[in-house]
Amino acid sequence: MGDYILRRLIYTLITIFAVASILFIVFRMLPGEATLQVISPAMDEAVQERMRAAFGLDQPLWQQYFIYLKNLVTLEWGRSFVSAQEVTDILSYRFWNTILLMAAGMCLTLVLGIGFGIIMAWKRNSALDIGGTVISLIFQAAPPFITGLLLLIVLSYRLGIFPTGGMYPPGMRPEGLLELLVMPEFWHRIVLPTITVGAYYISTPMLIMRDSMLEVLGSDFIELAKAKGLKPSRVMLRHAARNALLGVVTIASIMVGFAVGGQVVVESLFSWPGMGQLMVESAAAHDYPVAQGTFLTLAILVISLNFLTDVAYCYLDPRIKISSTGLT
Amino acid sequence: MDSKTDLSRRRFLKQAGAVSAAGAVGGLSGYAGFAHAAGKPVESMNLLTANASFDPVRPEMGRLITQACQSIGWDVKLAAEDYNLGIGKVFKEKDFDMFIVRWTGRANRIDPETFISMMHSRDGSYNKWGYDNARVNELAKAQQVTMNPDKRRELVHEAQAVLFDDVATCPIVYPSMTNAYREDRLDGLVPMMGEGIGSFWSDMNVSTRSGDGYVRTGQTSPLKNLNPVSATDSNEFKELRMIYDRLIQVGPDGSIVPWAAKSVTAVDDTTVDIVLRDGMKWHDGKPVTIEDVKFTFEYCTKWKAPFFISSLEKFASMEITGSNSMRILLSEPHAPLMNNFFAQIFILPKHIWQDIPEKAQVDDVLNFANENPVGSGPFRFDYWDRGKELKVSANADHFQPPKCAGIIRITYGSHDAMAAAIETGECDRTRYILKPALVQDLDKIAGVAGRGYASHGMYGFMFNHLRGPLQDRAFREAIDLLIPRDVIRDVVMAGFATNGGSVIAPANEFWHNPAVAGRSHNVKKAKDVLAAAGYSWDGDGKLHYPG
Repeated sequence: MGDYILRRLIYTLITIFAVASILFIVFRMLPGEATLQVISPAMDEAVQERMRAAFGLDQPLWQQYFIYLKNLVTLEWGRSFVSAQEVTDILSYRFWNTILLMAAGMCLTLVLGIGFGIIMAWKRNSALDIGGTVISLIFQAAPPFITGLLLLIVLSYRLGIFPTGGMYPPGMRPEGLLELLVMPEFWHRIVLPTITVGAYYISTPMLIMRDSMLEVLGSDFIELAKAKGLKPSRVMLRHAARNALLGVVTIASIMVGFAVGGQVVVESLFSWPGMGQLMVESAAAHDYPVAQGTFLTLAILVISLNFLTDVAYCYLDPRIKISSTGLT
Repeated sequence: MDSKTDLSRRRFLKQAGAVSAAGAVGGLSGYAGFAHAAGKPVESMNLLTANASFDPVRPEMGRLITQACQSIGWDVKLAAEDYNLGIGKVFKEKDFDMFIVRWTGRANRIDPETFISMMHSRDGSYNKWGYDNARVNELAKAQQVTMNPDKRRELVHEAQAVLFDDVATCPIVYPSMTNAYREDRLDGLVPMMGEGIGSFWSDMNVSTRSGDGYVRTGQTSPLKNLNPVSATDSNEFKELRMIYDRLIQVGPDGSIVPWAAKSVTAVDDTTVDIVLRDGMKWHDGKPVTIEDVKFTFEYCTKWKAPFFISSLEKFASMEITGSNSMRILLSEPHAPLMNNFFAQIFILPKHIWQDIPEKAQVDDVLNFANENPVGSGPFRFDYWDRGKELKVSANADHFQPPKCAGIIRITYGSHDAMAAAIETGECDRTRYILKPALVQDLDKIAGVAGRGYASHGMYGFMFNHLRGPLQDRAFREAIDLLIPRDVIRDVVMAGFATNGGSVIAPANEFWHNPAVAGRSHNVKKAKDVLAAAGYSWDGDGKLHYPG
């Protein structure tokens, strides 16, 4: 077991290193020049040269690469080319905004997904089962910007029930997380993006729960429970659902990773100041330090979650054995 | 005025007329680069514009102009690209044929320096298009060193006439600054030339009828930074000028008005005296002194502040002459200094900036974030959420306190989102350009006003003067005659524009030469101009070089 975890850890670190290197290359391959964003091309060539030197862009690429790697390890992620703020400061603020949105979306997804999955399996082949499957697949097939736009058009622009975006009303920035969480305007604003995230991801836990439930419902111990004369609701929730939940629990961590990385569209649509919006802004602005930091943070998060899932598998499901090469 | 630079209008007109006539009669004789192309079809060329997501108007203009060029047998293709890529192609790589650009009406472009010298003199920093006209070079330099405004205006008028006659650049239209605002909530907005109601004078004079007194101001481009030394963009200047005072300001009509300085006086062509206003205080309570002003100049020189360094290099020396006054000696006269330097530079508190960048743990002031700016301006900094909003509150201790409680600058993801926010009342006014079609729509909503305000900016059609037929004045004149300005004005710009002519717009009344009337769309005349210059058409209607 210890060997296996160590080996997985080494693979994880190699993957992160590879991602970091790819990011470095990809951003420098982007057409256009970083300095154009922050300095007018009409400025003196000497001034532009000075700007490049201040950013460290005057050094050879290989040298920039080694500085970049060294800074990654020492957690000195540099300063934004555009605002000169420290990348780690920008990321820490944006990261939690994304986590808040993702957490709300995932709660909605899991609670409703699991709940509907249970009911759909219990009422197999009913209108609810078929309708639920079709609707969830439609939501999954529809890109979040379609769902989000429709919600915005109907509930914000037409009916005026929800604000169009942002995390809090203009001019009311809260001091700290607690103040944000007790702000009614925040909860008002998180509804639409949460529904958008939830609608997109709900089919996964719902259908997995439904399938696991169907499998469990065919088991002997369920027949026995029914034969004992237990109430159907008790059989469904206490006996069947609890056993069917394992499949959803294992997929949830992977889903969370993807959900964090997949907030780009939702955040842009609802002007949510999170990592996704930061990704778009910084990539468009050729703000290499911030763009690299954003992508790398998300990559580390997703890769680490995968690592933790792999490790958790060993403990959660004793039926899984570990061979010399890993899981079997 | 220097006799060498005293170029009379009559003398110019004689010369310009002679150049024109020679061009018409001699055809391409002056363009040695054409010898190899004589009689061949005119090569296909690209017209570069920004894409519709950056500016919905430019590709539409480009499409109309390429169609017009194709109608006379010349193949022109439209290339609508990412704005920054396009800018890179023009200004860095100089790899383009023709492009359309919007020269926005920034306050520093009211001075003719940008449109005459920077864009059209041989050594002008914007001139990446190889335009080189001896006459223009002479006039551009002469207007720079002529401190008397009326004499300088004569030179600028002449330069406009030469540029128009030589078809150096084709101003397509002069777009209005299109803004929208909640007229049911705001009073006292003061439009400014080129900036509309997003102006500093609006910030100072606007008041709200209800609510918390803050004016919610929308813009689609995010604020990049708050460092007054590194900022070069009008986007940042518009916010920094609320927090930091300037010595003088450009007034709503483009004239200079005193601000933190009681006076900035050109004693002679190379001597400037500054007298600072009494009793000013920094936002942290310390007094603003003439020492701070001198420090600002020295600091920006030392750190080569990108926007200001070219002006500061004209400073030969400076000395404090009294408790609130100083004198600057220039190495040579420089007329744009008032508008483009003294009315732009932000006065820095010495007690804070003398320790930057050392105490900020950065090696260069350009890498300093200035996250908590302390100025002496009419608004105090509250907070800035990068990419989202900036909040500043009125400074009641200022010598001219604002009439509102403060300004909240909100970044919207798109023009449509900003228009929706105006409609719902979340946003009170726009700071910058709003798509003309949206302005029209918003104006129909009760409580909202959508307006266009006169601007000295222009949509310019720029030539690469070093390429193919674009080297030929007659060819350029034909293109100018092909631009369907009326359609662009009425349809593409939804009426929020006037037709282009001179490189200095009529809104810039003092500098504009009213004698320069634009060319009207006239396909027949364009063909006549080409035919007179020796161009011809083959059986398929394709345009051929003379010869």
